[in-house]
Order: sequence, then structure tokens, then C-alpha cells
Amino acid sequence: MTAPTESGIDIWDDDVLVDPYPTYAALREQAAVVHLPKNDMYVLTRYDVIRDALGDPETFSSTSIGFNPMVNEALQGTSLASDPPIHTQLRATLSQNLTPRALRGLKVVIDEKADKLVAELAASGSFEAIDSLARAFPIEIVADLIGFSGHVKDNMLRWGQAAMQVIGPLNQRTQESFPIAGELYGWCSSVTAEDLTPGSIGRGIFDAETRGDIPQGSAGHIIHQYLGAGVDTTIASIGNIIALFGRHPEQFELVRRNPELVPAAFAEVLRYWAPVHIWGRKAMRDVEIEGVTIPAGAQVGILFGAGNRDPRHYEDPDTFDVMRNPVDHLSFGYGPHGCAGQGLAKLEAHAIIEALARRVKTLTISDEVREPSNITRSLESLQVAKVVAA
Amino acid sequence: MRIHLDRPRCEGHGLCEEAAPRLMHLDDDGELVLDVPDVEGADLDAAKAAVRVCPVAALRLAAA
Repeated sequence: MTAPTESGIDIWDDDVLVDPYPTYAALREQAAVVHLPKNDMYVLTRYDVIRDALGDPETFSSTSIGFNPMVNEALQGTSLASDPPIHTQLRATLSQNLTPRALRGLKVVIDEKADKLVAELAASGSFEAIDSLARAFPIEIVADLIGFSGHVKDNMLRWGQAAMQVIGPLNQRTQESFPIAGELYGWCSSVTAEDLTPGSIGRGIFDAETRGDIPQGSAGHIIHQYLGAGVDTTIASIGNIIALFGRHPEQFELVRRNPELVPAAFAEVLRYWAPVHIWGRKAMRDVEIEGVTIPAGAQVGILFGAGNRDPRHYEDPDTFDVMRNPVDHLSFGYGPHGCAGQGLAKLEAHAIIEALARRVKTLTISDEVREPSNITRSLESLQVAKVVAA
Repeated sequence: MRIHLDRPRCEGHGLCEEAAPRLMHLDDDGELVLDVPDVEGADLDAAKAAVRVCPVAALRLAAA
């Protein structure tokens, strides 16, 4: 058995979390699989290895998607943390409201909301993009979709952030977030059909439970996953759209001139800055990858952002290029656990980019703030110093 | 080569249709229909691209 390649880095170090790409490059050049003793984990660093692992749930189990035992325990029985064959049924229940065919009717409403919001911001001269756009937009969309308002809507941001944070190792961020994630869990355990707007998808999930189409008690679980997975990640990617267009005005200009580039531009935003740093798996057997053996039972960490910048797969990977159209990027994962909400994420992000291309001529960023976060990599604030309406 | 569809796994994301419009399409209900399941030549390249872009790995190619 070959000894695995090791690195002394801590993947959850504050500086690494804020700017992980130099670390990813070093790890990726070191080996396809690197053992991190400080994190008691083996990380996958190269595109092909990551994609193969995501497509092989028999070897790489989702029973350890989180990096502490409490969160993995709490996620038991969800599609997120289960393996086929049980996963297949749970996943179908989760995704039936999120498939492109289920979401088709929402496109018009989402496009209208995006256009109105972006037009107002474009006319304002300057704005802070995270609160007023990256957070405001997905929170409103998801709240309408699931059918709640009031105190739940007010708590969505902190609940969604905490739900992602607690997937990390037992560091201070995780420990501080557990009580907040618990509030979300508590609400989802007690929510009833009457709490949700008639006609909403959330109400529909309860109706399906009443009819017996989905198992008794699963409606709350599903709503929990929509809130936990659908908020913080989409916020990250919408913030990243604005930040990257601000940094690369010539790329924004390409999209303005040719709105057919909108889907390619969003795929490139996702590839260039992965909204999720890392996601866990458990090795179910000794598995040898390019000369490195991951022992059975070991915690594995998948570094989406490292794979997305692998020069073995993408030419000139550190360049942000809206013409690239990297449809096979890893930011939605891949395979049986591939992001169930990617259709909705695309609807939201495409609507925002289309509205920007229509309503904005130029935008200038003055200040960009990131705070370290265990799982999601998003901007905390992003000041658009000057926006010129189209 | 033949294109195989894992029907329960397909969620209708439609990326395959964009990659290989001659070989497959989503019907009005969003169900994937394989119009040309047996492929060779240029169709084989398109089929490979479709298999590659499926985000949930619901398509594969195997000997007919």
C-alpha cells in the first residue's frame, strides 16, 4: 500500500476559506488525492477524480456528507445523506417540485421580479449588492415558492447560513451555528399545511403527504432541505455574478451585446467561483486513486473549486471567460446527488443576468468583503459605487 | 453503440437535448424521449456529449 501524499494545511483556516484558490492549486499539483492530517480527511483535488467519485456512490457514500458526527446524525433519513437504493425514492420526492418541467410556470414571474429589482437598482446610481440583490431576490423567490411569510421569511437568511455552516468541522463557526440551525429544524418539524399559502409548492408537499404519495412526516424534511440548500448557495452565486461582472467589464459587455451568452456566463461564474467549498463522502472500501490509497471508512472531502480550475480539464482555467460555456463544471456536483435545485438556481441567476444585460450599461465595484465560512463561499458585502443605467 | 436511459434518475434538466437535438428530446410533459437510440459516426460524438452533460448521470452508452 502506498502512503498517501500529505499536506499540513488546514482547509478550514480563515485565510484559506476567504481565498482558497492558491491552496487548491498547490494541493492539485501535489496529487489527485491529498491526506490532510489536521482535518483527518482525504481531499480530492482534480477534475476527473472528483467527477468519478461523485458518480460512484457505492465507493463514496453520502452517509458522511458533513464533517462532524452530529450533523451527519441529524441528516439521517434525508436524500442528501443517503445512498441508493433508499436515496432513489427520497430524491424523487425531493426533486419532483424542482425539475425544469415543474418549474416551467415560474419563469415568467421570476423574470418579472428580477427585471423590476434590477431596474430599480440601476436607476439608483449606487447600491450595496448583497443585501439588496443577492439576498433579497432568492429569499423572496423561495419564500413565495414554499409559501411562507412573516417571521419565517425574516429568519431565512440566518437559518440558511447556519444550516450550511454546521456541515463543517466542530470549529467555533459550527458550534455557534448549531442553535440557529436548530431553530430551522424546530420550525420544519412543527410546520403544518395551514401555515403555508394555498397554491404554493410547500402546501402541495403537504397535500402529497395527506394523499399518501410521500411518506408520513416527510413534508417537513423536504421543506427543511429546500430552505437549507436553496438559500445560501444561490445568494453566493448571485453575489458572485455582480462581483465578477464588476471585475471584468469587458466580459459583461460581451453578455450585454449578446444575451444568448447568459447561460454560458452563469456556468462560468459557477466554475470560476464555486459557491460550495467542500462536501463530504465516506470511503466504503480501500480505494486506490493514482497511487494513493484512501482507507475504508475514511472521511473524504470534495473540493469542487479545485476541480473547476484543473488545467487538465479546462484550458487557461484561471481566466474568467463568458464564452467558455463549461456545462460540465462541478459546482452543482454530479450524478445521483447532483444539485436537485439547479433548475431553480438557473432560473433565478439567468433572470438576474438577463436583467443586468438589459438594464445596466456599466457598473463599478468599490468594496468587496468576504468572511470565512465553512461550506459556502459568498460575499458578505459588495458595494457598487457607480451604476449607469442602460 | 446504444444510448441507455435510467428513467427514474432522469429529472428532465434537458442539457442532453441541447447537446444532441437529433437524438433525443423532452416531450411536452418534460419526459425524455430517445429518438435515435442506436448511434454511430457523428451521432456517436453527439451521444457522448449528451451523456457527458447529464448532471445526474442518467444516460450511458453501451454496446448495442
